[in-house]
Amino acid sequence: MMQVPGDVQIIKEDNVTHSFCGLACVGWMYQKIKDSFFLILGTHTCAHFLQNALGMMIFAKPRFGIALMEEGDLSKNEPTLEEIIREIKADHNPSVIFLLSSCTPEVMKVDFKGLAHHLTTPEVPVLFVPASGLVYNFTQAEDSVLHALVPFCPEAPAGEKSVVFLGSVNDATADDLRAEAEALGIKVGGFLPESRFDKMPAIGPDTVLAPIQPYLSRVAVKLERERGARVLHSLFPFGPDGSRAFWEDLAREFGITIDLRDREAAAWEKIRKQTDLLKNKKVFLTADTMMELPLARFLKSAGADVVECSSAYINKKFHARELQALEGVRVVEQPNFHRQLVDVTRIQPDLIITSLMTANPFAGHGFVVKWSMEFMLMPIHSWSGVIPLANLFVSPLQRRSKLPAFDKEVWMEGVMPSAE
Amino acid sequence: MRLAFWLYEGTALHGISRVTNSMKGVHTVFHAPQGDDYITATYTMLERTPDFPGLSISVVRGRDLAQGVSRLPGTLQQVEHHYSPDLTVIAPSCSTALLQEDLHQLAAHSGVPQDKLLVYALNPFRVSENEAADGLFTELVKRYAVSQEKTAQPTVNLLGFTSLGFHLRANVTSLRRMLQTLGVAVNVVAPWGAGIEDLKKLPAAWLNIAPYREIGSSAAHYLAESFGMDAIYEAPIGVEPTLAWLGSVIAKLNAVGAQKGATPITMPKLSAFSLDGQSAPSGVPWFARTADMESFSNKRAFVFGDATHTVALVKFLRDELGMQIIGAGTYLHRHADWVRKELEGYLPGALVVTDRFQDVAQIIDDEMPDLVCGTQMERHSCRKLDVPCMVICPPTHIENHLLGYYPFFGFDGSDVIADRVYLSCKLGLEKHLIDFFGDAGLEYEESSVAPEAPQLQDATPQSNGQQAEAVATAPVQPAGEGEMSWTDEAETMLKKVPFFVRKKVRKNTETFALGIGVTCVSVEVFRQAKESLGG
Repeated sequence: MMQVPGDVQIIKEDNVTHSFCGLACVGWMYQKIKDSFFLILGTHTCAHFLQNALGMMIFAKPRFGIALMEEGDLSKNEPTLEEIIREIKADHNPSVIFLLSSCTPEVMKVDFKGLAHHLTTPEVPVLFVPASGLVYNFTQAEDSVLHALVPFCPEAPAGEKSVVFLGSVNDATADDLRAEAEALGIKVGGFLPESRFDKMPAIGPDTVLAPIQPYLSRVAVKLERERGARVLHSLFPFGPDGSRAFWEDLAREFGITIDLRDREAAAWEKIRKQTDLLKNKKVFLTADTMMELPLARFLKSAGADVVECSSAYINKKFHARELQALEGVRVVEQPNFHRQLVDVTRIQPDLIITSLMTANPFAGHGFVVKWSMEFMLMPIHSWSGVIPLANLFVSPLQRRSKLPAFDKEVWMEGVMPSAE
Repeated sequence: MRLAFWLYEGTALHGISRVTNSMKGVHTVFHAPQGDDYITATYTMLERTPDFPGLSISVVRGRDLAQGVSRLPGTLQQVEHHYSPDLTVIAPSCSTALLQEDLHQLAAHSGVPQDKLLVYALNPFRVSENEAADGLFTELVKRYAVSQEKTAQPTVNLLGFTSLGFHLRANVTSLRRMLQTLGVAVNVVAPWGAGIEDLKKLPAAWLNIAPYREIGSSAAHYLAESFGMDAIYEAPIGVEPTLAWLGSVIAKLNAVGAQKGATPITMPKLSAFSLDGQSAPSGVPWFARTADMESFSNKRAFVFGDATHTVALVKFLRDELGMQIIGAGTYLHRHADWVRKELEGYLPGALVVTDRFQDVAQIIDDEMPDLVCGTQMERHSCRKLDVPCMVICPPTHIENHLLGYYPFFGFDGSDVIADRVYLSCKLGLEKHLIDFFGDAGLEYEESSVAPEAPQLQDATPQSNGQQAEAVATAPVQPAGEGEMSWTDEAETMLKKVPFFVRKKVRKNTETFALGIGVTCVSVEVFRQAKESLGG
């Protein structure tokens, strides 16, 4: 158990199960950076994961693929990827190739840095992205991708004060954030990542980095260290409370004092129906996307009773403000799922935010569930995201109340082969 | 090393979990890095399992490797404590298989009784989904089946029915219905729904039914060798194969019955097999003889899939619907010889054996068949080309996991398959009308791109902003476009061709034009092409 400011206790357990490895980030990163190719040095397992769990179907030619290690490749000292890189360049003409590690080559101790360096040409850099499940969970490999992009962000000269938003969001959300910042008189330097490899933002000693996703602590630290950039430590811009804190704190970095109290109140008013429904509802978050801390904080502010908030990785410094805001909530890092099942049975939460793997089984046990991954695919940032965010939580509750009574004995008989 | 985008068969771990997820009181522990239990999602999402599949992961972290720590004993203890399964199967993943750990010893350290643990350490680089599933199931049958008295009344075991199997539940139902009509009871269905006690009593049945070449037939062979149990390996897909299958079931059961002095089973009136008990058991024989089905004689079909369904569908399309088979193939190298032998005389050329979907897509693009029977990947390839396609085997899409009764086995299954062929293909008289009069008012606005684009589908929410955006931004290039230009007049002329064959005509014309060395299709070139290609 460790202590953080505000006396929030983080209970640390032994592992995360029922969540994805870092390779999952390919699902959104290849779509975000449009002139990229994501090459995974991996096995059949990696390919099967990407095509099944994320359900990513391959059409024309996707801008990601697996350099498939087969049995014969295991005895070789270093994988030879020249031929595959040539094929990718011929078919896709990417500006950059991200080379992602996976578990098998990590176990084989493949020298990925050397490999990427060796494959790099002046025209097309090959960037190593550590992503294997031996170290990284789900969204964490986006941190690795951004890490790899740092050398391609130009140096912003001292005195050029601007904000760079940290984290991949879709273009509509990016436009919203940009417009909001400019309306407050904040100069926008760009986003890391931008949609094109050659458009990465300039970052320097007078850049303020504003993290808009809660799983990017390593790249923030790197930029702080290497470029002298300042990292905004605020709430993440989710919900009325998060949006107000985020924009007020960001403005303060630019010497602008604003009071968004009224705006926050108006935003809460807009979702009053939803928060009325959430009030005193017991909500349990299992560890999955690493968006759990800010989501739980919004729920708490909305009046819900967060009975457990668990996450795969918690960074005391990067998440400090969220942890403070969660005071009194049971926060667990690397939770043990078996223990969580026991607790869920005992506590009987009204709503469980959980992964694709576990949602239907929880529903089968009579609970109301919401897919955690949906929060990554919906525009829930800042003021314009307030209503979608609130709706995501209440829609399963409302739906359940609309459906007729359900006699488990009758309607679930024989549905599962292993059910007794 | 090769660049792969998509693979037909799943991993060994997937095969193992398909067997254990099918069974009662059996748990699997993956000894694997974080994330390798993604497989759970295939059960909870595709099969919508309302309970937690018996799958746990003993997470291997980089830090543990550095420190020489293994969580396997602890995970086994937790599984024992929380779920107390009758059996836990322990399996390494591809990365942990390289660690050369002694899983037996680690398992022993857990203190869980050894008879409740089974280390199933395949080489995941050599063994894939089906072989692993078949192997584990056989292993379990060997471990538990015991010699015993046969049941007093005739009974059969249904073997190889496995979680995520193609139209699995409906197939079991169809077989049960037919067996019930014969007065034959089912002793055990396995692995689907079976527990350890069920495996023990397998030898009590008179006969094994193992219709899937991929999973279950090895166990049936073992039971034949060790317990002298006869087995039927044919899949009752299609009316004639179903009749032959019924004949075989009766003959083999009567052979066992004769030794016991039992009353022989006789074939009931065929109407007894129908849903209402008083009609023809299948509509297919009459359907195939109706006038509008005559057009099917000219329809060219291509079949690609696993072993069982590829063989069955080729035979069904040719023998029972009278279609032309222009080619067939399988992604299962292991079973290619069997498929080849079964399809002797059915194929105009060599059997296609490949696990590269791009190869199959190319064949479809070259041949432009009137019907493709394939996996979900062929369905995607065909959508781009506007070629009719029906899915006949795994790998499947969530839309192949429906609620209704759609068996592929038995008389009921024959009707289902024929309906799907009929709905997939362009129709008879209606087609003549369209061919003759052009669009017949059916023309839709022609889109310049294929109707379907990449989606974060299956597992992810269907209706939201970023996903829609992702779909819109994904590049989809119509096949072969951009190399050949068409004059406006030629384009106008092409518009008069019925819309659903337009792509095919465009492609054929362009191939023809290339052949005569022109790069622009004029009205004249188009006419020449029509003449030379016969319309």
